[in-house]
Amino acid sequence: MALTTAHQSAGAEANSATSGRPARKPRESGRLRRQEGRAGYVFLSPWLLGLMAITAFPMLFSLYLSFTNYDVLASWDQVEWVGLDNYQRMFTEDPSYWHAVRVTLTYALIAVPLKLAAALGVALLLNRERRGVGLFRSLFYLPSLLGGSVALALVWRAMFSGDGAFNDLLSLFGIEGAPWVNDPTWALETLMVLAVWQFGAPMVIFLAGLKQVPTDLYEAAAVDGAGKFRQFWNITLPMLSPVIFFNLVLETINGFQGFTSAFVISNGTGGPVYSTLLYTLHIYNEGFTEFRMGYASALSWVFLIAIGLITVVFFSTGRFWVHYSDGEN
Amino acid sequence: MHPATPPTAGMPAVPVHRTPVPRRRLFRGLIAAAVALPLAFGTAACGDDESSSDPNAPVTIEFFWWGGESRAKATEEALKLYTSKHPNVTITPTWQAFDGYYDKLATISAGGNAPDIFQIDDNNLTDYASRRVTLDLTDLVKDGKIDLSKHHAELTKYGQVDGKQVAIASGENTPAIVYDKTKLAELGVSEPQEGWSYQQYFDWAAQVTQKGGGKYWGTMDISSDYKALWLWLRTQGKEFYNGKQLGFTEADLVTWFKLWQEARTKGATPPADIVHEAVTGSVSTQLVVTGKAAVSFMWSNQLSELQKATKNELAMLPYPGDVKGQWPRASLYWAGSRTTEHPEVVADIINFLVNDPEAAKILGTDRGLPANLDVRETLEADISDNSMKATFAFENGLASKFGAAPPVPPKGHNGLRNKLRDIAESVTYGKATPEAAAKQFFAEASAALA
Repeated sequence: MALTTAHQSAGAEANSATSGRPARKPRESGRLRRQEGRAGYVFLSPWLLGLMAITAFPMLFSLYLSFTNYDVLASWDQVEWVGLDNYQRMFTEDPSYWHAVRVTLTYALIAVPLKLAAALGVALLLNRERRGVGLFRSLFYLPSLLGGSVALALVWRAMFSGDGAFNDLLSLFGIEGAPWVNDPTWALETLMVLAVWQFGAPMVIFLAGLKQVPTDLYEAAAVDGAGKFRQFWNITLPMLSPVIFFNLVLETINGFQGFTSAFVISNGTGGPVYSTLLYTLHIYNEGFTEFRMGYASALSWVFLIAIGLITVVFFSTGRFWVHYSDGEN
Repeated sequence: MHPATPPTAGMPAVPVHRTPVPRRRLFRGLIAAAVALPLAFGTAACGDDESSSDPNAPVTIEFFWWGGESRAKATEEALKLYTSKHPNVTITPTWQAFDGYYDKLATISAGGNAPDIFQIDDNNLTDYASRRVTLDLTDLVKDGKIDLSKHHAELTKYGQVDGKQVAIASGENTPAIVYDKTKLAELGVSEPQEGWSYQQYFDWAAQVTQKGGGKYWGTMDISSDYKALWLWLRTQGKEFYNGKQLGFTEADLVTWFKLWQEARTKGATPPADIVHEAVTGSVSTQLVVTGKAAVSFMWSNQLSELQKATKNELAMLPYPGDVKGQWPRASLYWAGSRTTEHPEVVADIINFLVNDPEAAKILGTDRGLPANLDVRETLEADISDNSMKATFAFENGLASKFGAAPPVPPKGHNGLRNKLRDIAESVTYGKATPEAAAKQFFAEASAALA
């Protein structure tokens, strides 16, 4: 950080020298550089203070809390250091923990690839220049604008309940639907559909990536007699792989952090029969319903490490399949 | 009072470089602010010191509860009556639906900003009291700041944790079944009777389902609810809790689960998904008002709210089983915050809400019958609303049959009752046998109550 600042201020100085301000002696310029460096930190300070106060400090504090019996409501003199008890409880004494791990893995492993596939598929369709394509791009992005909103989850709950609109629709075709969100077999799948439906963000990134693929590659391939599928497989996918990688990492992290839909649809219970007990929901319930904030902090740290490890795996396998075209040419 | 500091007074001369004027002004402003802010806070602190000695100094009290529209209207009106009598007191009322109420209360309490007065229920009372969130009202009661001499003794006792008065019952209410009179008449099924055993009750409910024609069921399945289990245990002379431990055995729980298993096989209850919807729903989505079952398991003070959600006539009975399992119960209380700066005002407002006949008239039976027995009598003579009359008749009818009140549920109860809800549900959905579920509950219970 300091290096960049110094480098940039030196650059600024060079610019100012050419733009006609009087040149300074070297010694003076060193002092100026230091001053400007300091000024840089002053300008950074709102962000830096924000990072410290709102992100770094609470995170480190939660690490401390994970070794205590902190329970939200009690005063500080009641907080005791309990060592690794919270971590031990997680793996040995909390059956809900394993429900949460299983549900979250299932959710992420299915919803994330489906969402990426949907995003890529629609992006390919919308990549062609046709009349009205702008409208469709907006329409497909629309669900993502609603984001992880509570309102949307409420709509989902109403639509996919036993006598909801979706089953009314099915009954038109003579199909008798399940009670979806109230059925342990289908509740999680219903949440996945909601997640996949909101494929707008990765879709836009895929679209931008597709625009970057040079058309001459396709022309050359077409001349050589490659069909559409071959072009997709041998040109689009490799050229798009950095974007796929980016989306994969981001969406995986997002997927693991899913909370709102499960919280709203199950009304905070993670039910029916633990079927929507996402890890984040378990953290929430332990912390704010059962007041085991120390334990909830421990859960969060294990979660952070797990997501970190998964990301590391992505990055270390990335070099085998991610193709960066610049630098080779 | 400190004199206001003029922005430029006593400021060192700022050396003039090439700094443009506006920036200098900004700089001066900042320094002035830096000087003035602590002064402002300082005077504010002085103001607070004065208020504790002067009974007429202005006081602001934050007041928080959950409930529906009509409860909000009544509560605000009652608080207005108080402030009109005490013009120096300003009350800031905040209310919301039950969903999310405790999330909010927990987070603001954790930040040390618990509202001066808040509504709390018996599921959470010990959790909050044992963590010293609530104001200890014992001395205030002793000094007569809150007058409990006319209160139902059992209700007063039910607001005590570890020998301290931590909350004051805002009313008396009892778990009750609410049934759809109109629908039962339509189906030609007789109404349920007080004192039926669960077996008799299930046979009756199965009959309703049979006549209901497929999409209508006899009774809500309440096997996942600690209240129902507790009352059922009490009819057998047992308790849900024995001090800080469970007061029943794994075998008892198996029997309870099997009892309901039987009801399911008989067809007395709706399928698991409909039950789940009601368990996770609100008052207005209970099966008796959504027209899916003839009976819902509620609280006696909720009758008028339920009645507003349906055109059919509703009626109320105690839960199945011997009525002696019931006790005069405060499911809702008023509690103060330990961090309040005005404990005496808090006590005075609570005292007003529970003892003032005018306030009682405004509040009605929305939180149950008034805990003050004199006030209760006056109110009863005065009411015209049919549901309120029914609530009165119901509680009065029980009064002579009540058993003794148990202590308030211990710390960890709220987590434990959620565990019961989830584990019982796995039986309802057929994902676990009664035996396995009971075993799991007991395995998790000790950790939850620790």
